[in-house]
Amino acid sequence: MNPEELKTTCAYIASELSRIETVAGTLAMIEREHYNTLNRFDHRELLEVAVEAQSAARQLGMVKHVCAELVQRVADLQKAIERQGGAGHAPAH
Amino acid sequence: MLRRIEKWLRAAIDETVDRALVRMVRDPYVESTAEMMATTRKVGGVNATEIMMRAAQGSPVPRPLGSPLHLSPWEKLLFSPVHLCRFPTPENVPIDTAVTIGPRARRPLTVAIPILIAGMSFGGALSKKAKIALARAATLVGTATNTGEAGLLEEERAAARLLIGQYNRGGWLNRPELYRRLDAIEIQLGQGAQGSTPQRTSARQIGPDFRQVFGLAEGEDALIHSRLPGINSQEDFVQLVRRLRDETGVPVGLKIAATHHLERELAVALEAGVDFITVDGAEGGTHGGAPTLQDDVGLPTLYAVARARDYLARQMATGDVSLIAAGGLITPGQMLKAMALGADAVYTGTAAIMALIGDQVTEAVPFEPPTSLVVYTGKLTERLDVDRAARSLQRFLNACVTEMEQVAVTLGRTALRDIDRSDLCALDPVLARATGVQLGLVAPDRQHRLFPELDPETLPEPLPPTGPGVGRPLSLEEVH
Repeated sequence: MNPEELKTTCAYIASELSRIETVAGTLAMIEREHYNTLNRFDHRELLEVAVEAQSAARQLGMVKHVCAELVQRVADLQKAIERQGGAGHAPAH
Repeated sequence: MLRRIEKWLRAAIDETVDRALVRMVRDPYVESTAEMMATTRKVGGVNATEIMMRAAQGSPVPRPLGSPLHLSPWEKLLFSPVHLCRFPTPENVPIDTAVTIGPRARRPLTVAIPILIAGMSFGGALSKKAKIALARAATLVGTATNTGEAGLLEEERAAARLLIGQYNRGGWLNRPELYRRLDAIEIQLGQGAQGSTPQRTSARQIGPDFRQVFGLAEGEDALIHSRLPGINSQEDFVQLVRRLRDETGVPVGLKIAATHHLERELAVALEAGVDFITVDGAEGGTHGGAPTLQDDVGLPTLYAVARARDYLARQMATGDVSLIAAGGLITPGQMLKAMALGADAVYTGTAAIMALIGDQVTEAVPFEPPTSLVVYTGKLTERLDVDRAARSLQRFLNACVTEMEQVAVTLGRTALRDIDRSDLCALDPVLARATGVQLGLVAPDRQHRLFPELDPETLPEPLPPTGPGVGRPLSLEEVH
């Protein structure tokens, strides 16, 4: 893969990660709503499901967190590729 | 008929108690059983029992679950809710509970909640069923569990999505084919409940499954050395950390018992380039350790966390090196206070075990202790329902984090990791000075009334950071 292709791939990964981050945030919100709804019932099994919904919401929050960190890493990678590309084109001394 | 028996019993008890009370107050103290009340009060119930156990056994009494002493004054720190000076977090705003351990590592470890399951070994401490239940619960809530000082238990690895493994003083997990299967490596040089004391599990307490996981021959004891095998100098330790980081890419950390030498220990750890540090306070639990090691050795968790965070800040390592607090953190309030003082995450052991047993406690009591359901040598380990135990612990962890989130809301924070010392006040002047938390007894701008040196008019210029990370390089001394 040449540097230009690498840069394009990195941009694609970063964009998809941002999309996953958004989806995770939305799903986390939905799970939290489920938790609030289920928690209104005084029913043991529903309360168990509510706990699972809350755990799911937090884990989706974690996915969001991981995505944000990966986006940062991809950005670092892009910068490194650009630097290497720049160095490759620099005149030799 | 029953009523007649009841009447007779009541009369007999009444007469017996009357006589006993009369004898107790009329007899000279030294001839009365009332003497035991005063003596027990003087000696303490636990100490009285352990005196008799020592007298009967002639060897250190392996007390389970750590020291009963409360050395960290968590109750003297309180969170400060906000109303107008800053606004509470709206209830529709989620509280971010995720934490990344070892952000500098090639493959950092991110967990959904900041509570990790503490290192409790298979065999040395817990049964296989208990370890699987802990791993399942951790996976259900999106956190990590820890192998403890053991080999790699395949069932635990399979059940745990995130597994922190202890590179241990027994050497049972220290081979590349084992530690490369971990999500983080914690080099275990000590623990709050036992310091760096060697420990031995006798071969007669080791079953075939234990032998297989630990790679022991039949009749061989499991020995945890005081030093990590092959690590006899600070330079050896530095090289080990660097090798493990290069080989695996996962966060490599150090676990030590918190002591008054804390900063000197951390200096070596930072020099080695660890990704995280676990400080296990004197209140740390264990499956069974000598009472003296538990009660009289180490540094309380609260002060250890505050000192470790201060040191990391002075070395400009905050944010690069994660700090995990362990040792006697029982309630979500204590856990969150440890985080406010500077821990990125906390380990829970004793509370996790109690929650794991949960309502299955009825299987053991009143004739066996609850821990007989979970410890490797327990009589009732086969009765533990793994799924029920995992769900029980999942509910406990969920409740703990929800309580933490509630505090975050009232503090006006949107992430647990954003809660810091400024969200606390201290009720004790010494504690305030030691931890850098403001004293709640006087207004923030009047702190100098109790601490004259904080008077803004006489405050000296802050000193530049010092230490091994700044200025002169750390000298790597040989350990003798």
